[in-house]
Amino acid sequence: MSLADLNVASPVVVAILTALAILLVDLALPGRTTAALVTALGGLLITAIVTISVGSGVATTAFGPEGLGMYKLDQLTTFLDLLFISIVAMTILFAPDYLAPRGLPLAEFATVLVFAMTGAMVIAASADLLLLFLGLELMVLPGYLLAAYHKTDGYSTEGAIKYFLLGSFSSAIFLFGLAFVWGLSGSTNIHEVSGTLTQVTTGAIPFSPGLAMGLAFLTTGVAFKIAAVPFHYWTPDAYQGSPTPVTGYLSVGPKVGAFALILRLFVEALGPMKADWLPVVVVLAAVTMTLGNLVALTQDNVKRMLAYSSIAHTGYMLVGIAAFAGGQSSGISALLFYGAAYAFMNLGAFAVIAALQKRAGVTSQLSTFAGLVRREPALTFLMLLFLLSLVGIPPTAGFFAKVLIIQSAVEAGGWVGVLAVVMVLNAAAAAFYYLRVVVYMFVRDPVSDAPGLRHGALLWGGLAAATVLTILFGTFPGLILGMVGDAARAITG
Amino acid sequence: MNNLLTIVTFTPLVGAILVAIAPGRYARMLALAAALVAWAASLFLVIGFEPSSSRQFQFVEAYDWIPAFGIQYKLGIDGLSLVLVVLTTTLTWISILASFSPIKDRIKEYMVSFLILEVGMIGVFVALDTFLFYIFWEIVLVPMYLIIGIWGGVDRIYATIKFVLYTLVGSLLMLVAIIATAFAYQAGHGGNWAGAFDFTVLRTFGFDPTLQVFAFLAFFLAFAIKVPMFPFHTWLPDAHVQAPTAGSVILAAIMLKLGAYGLIRFTLPLFPAAAQTFGPVIIVLSLIAIIYGAIVALVQPDLKKLVAYSSVSHMGFVTLGIFVFNEQGMDGAILQMVNHGLITGALFLLVGVIYERTHDRTIAKMGGLASAMPAYAVALGFFVFASGGLPGLSGFVGEFLSLVGAFEYSPWVAAIATICMVFAAGYLLWMYQRLVFGELSEFLKGLGHHLTDMTAVEILTLAPLAALTVVFGLFPGLVLDLVKGSVATVLADATRQDPVQIATQTAVVLVALPILYVVGRLIWVARIDLGGGGGGTAVVESPAPEAAS
Repeated sequence: MSLADLNVASPVVVAILTALAILLVDLALPGRTTAALVTALGGLLITAIVTISVGSGVATTAFGPEGLGMYKLDQLTTFLDLLFISIVAMTILFAPDYLAPRGLPLAEFATVLVFAMTGAMVIAASADLLLLFLGLELMVLPGYLLAAYHKTDGYSTEGAIKYFLLGSFSSAIFLFGLAFVWGLSGSTNIHEVSGTLTQVTTGAIPFSPGLAMGLAFLTTGVAFKIAAVPFHYWTPDAYQGSPTPVTGYLSVGPKVGAFALILRLFVEALGPMKADWLPVVVVLAAVTMTLGNLVALTQDNVKRMLAYSSIAHTGYMLVGIAAFAGGQSSGISALLFYGAAYAFMNLGAFAVIAALQKRAGVTSQLSTFAGLVRREPALTFLMLLFLLSLVGIPPTAGFFAKVLIIQSAVEAGGWVGVLAVVMVLNAAAAAFYYLRVVVYMFVRDPVSDAPGLRHGALLWGGLAAATVLTILFGTFPGLILGMVGDAARAITG
Repeated sequence: MNNLLTIVTFTPLVGAILVAIAPGRYARMLALAAALVAWAASLFLVIGFEPSSSRQFQFVEAYDWIPAFGIQYKLGIDGLSLVLVVLTTTLTWISILASFSPIKDRIKEYMVSFLILEVGMIGVFVALDTFLFYIFWEIVLVPMYLIIGIWGGVDRIYATIKFVLYTLVGSLLMLVAIIATAFAYQAGHGGNWAGAFDFTVLRTFGFDPTLQVFAFLAFFLAFAIKVPMFPFHTWLPDAHVQAPTAGSVILAAIMLKLGAYGLIRFTLPLFPAAAQTFGPVIIVLSLIAIIYGAIVALVQPDLKKLVAYSSVSHMGFVTLGIFVFNEQGMDGAILQMVNHGLITGALFLLVGVIYERTHDRTIAKMGGLASAMPAYAVALGFFVFASGGLPGLSGFVGEFLSLVGAFEYSPWVAAIATICMVFAAGYLLWMYQRLVFGELSEFLKGLGHHLTDMTAVEILTLAPLAALTVVFGLFPGLVLDLVKGSVATVLADATRQDPVQIATQTAVVLVALPILYVVGRLIWVARIDLGGGGGGTAVVESPAPEAAS
């Protein structure tokens, strides 16, 4: 390991140092949440600055021979790192209002989150299948901890156990698939795997049953991680049981992380065989969005509803992958834009729920939202914005994200074009359950006459950031399109 | 002022922000002021507009918005847009004025919704970029959703969600078609996105026939739902009945025109071949709408529902006029759009007047209003006759020109449509007779001194509509001269290609599906609206029956 390697990998190093610093601060000043918060947010800021400063237009690798290192720094890495950092920073901003009344410690929460972020960042930078798996495990293990964070709550532990069991199984299946691919190609380096697979597609190397099994296992493992139907059963329980800020994080952080995995694994390593996995992705996308939406229609718990809707959004994002496999590299930039837009609007929606649950004992049932506009007008209008964005009404981020995905799908044509139609019909159906929350907030009479709550400045700050980004991505998408395009070109060439 | 269109479009938005910031007690006056400023600004458009200009669009503003995809902020108006923009700004301030006394709850949110609604509606009429058009088109949805959902009647939640879902299904498919047309253009220009969403560029592009058929169907569905054309109209009666009075006025007067405008502006010039292919089917659907709307209106026990179904019938004349592809038909369609806006808007206001006093709209409970509310009886009589197509009032000219156009296309079509005007006279006059003549009903007597005649504000809201109805009835040329250029351009565009020859089987399927649906629907309607004991609300599956406030 040379100093140059360390320089390339510095964002991950700083992230780990941040997590350790929070632990140390909490050790030195136990229970002082302000100190922990300052350390966490400051550390994240430094991580972001480092990420931007080491990022460059030229792809470089580290930890290995020139150009074949395990760790890869390109514009996709930079973009995803910044996205992960913002997701974690926002989650930390939203957390204190929820955690404090329940007596849950903040410092550990922030530490675990930052560790999870480090895992996601490793995935985003992987140029090697082993590192990919390492990053994946580093990302999901803290997720299990977070899901069980409210350990005296039965639902929290139940959800966490389901999440843990299915997550471990899927990791094992995924690793099994990696082993098959390694067995065929004789290398774990993504560049070399891709080269071998190109030979398979040209017929130089036969398409062996082992490779087919490897592909099937990898697809299954990844489908678990992104909660694609029919591998989604852990999602609703894990989401509903987890403390709300954790749910917000789980619905975007690991999801974007898993899509980063798809980009590095399927698009880069398995890219040459895209014609073979295209039909699978098309079917997965169609089934995932349709089933997610249909089940979400019948939910009367908002957290659970958003959990199913996040399954549907997974389906929409898969359309971007399908468009790539159908020959349109614009599918990747559309996917990245969607990931960013979805992260901010969904985090915003969960932040509102978390804010309402500041009063202990408040559930996330629809009835909590009845007549909300009278008690919490500001939060209500923000929730309205996030929900409209999730529906995809202009001029919000969610709208433009859908446009980009549809555009790439239409360009790809064929069955992917049909997928675009399936997607818009789904989006219309989704409007029903999102707008049901709006109906409760604006139309129903409140069930309790509890007065409005005082919310922390951190929460308002986080919400302001989510709001601004949701509107900005929708009205001036050009601001981020360039960045997204560069990131996508890093892997599509 | 070369930013006049932006000013007209976004003045209401500024107003909405001011209303949102200012204390609640100023909400009414601020909203009215914003709407009046927008109205005044739109009158400057009329002054500055040159009907004889050779340019298709005037007051054009174009700025790059998302250059990566050639998406522009491009506005511009021709005569058709101008007429509809002025109609919008006029009816918005009237509606806001008419909301002063009925809306007592959450007035601030109401006014903000209303002004944002106006931004969306004006934007739809002035946008020249298909993407921008779509954005305005969707913006309209949200405030209307809130207006019906918050300030509506008992079954407002069912009605408003039905309205949103219907509209969204159509419009999202249109979004796919917008992107597909842009992509086809880009692919035809070597991957250059510039102009791919610019209507003035796309108009001359000439799309491949297969794409035309699919894109036409997607656009058509979105617009047909909005118009609403039979058989996509079922959201309309629910939305109208549940909406507050001003919401109904805007819904009928402007929002239905969004669909008709879209058909004229986008579907005909962009997909001329497909439009001609489907023309006959659409004419048949229009005839069904004209007759069906009238027959169903005849048996409505609810005053507002009667006017709502009469809208379906009247808008049938608009689509009929558009798809006969001749000048008289198109002229008639456009005039009918304006007249329907004025007259049906006024009728909804009048329904609101009576509802304010009685909190009931059941025709059977009324009677003898002539003695208790003479001014009301006169106003209602005026607009009933205007709606029925009395010569000398504007309703007549529009329907007459539509029929002339239809006659030129096929005498049979005109004959069928004309017969239906008898029904129109039937339901309107019968309604008027039951409401106004005879003894004052027991129900109304029970109201005692609450049954006052119209107030000054109510008369003020109706007066401009009545005046315009007379003026356009006597001088339809005021509108026709403005839209002459638009009509000629659209017709030239729409007939520049031969119809797409689609395989016989496909044609049979495409024709058979709507007819099957029609038959099924008629059976369904016969069960509910006619036989089901009153059709007041055929909404047994309402998701929120306990939502009374």
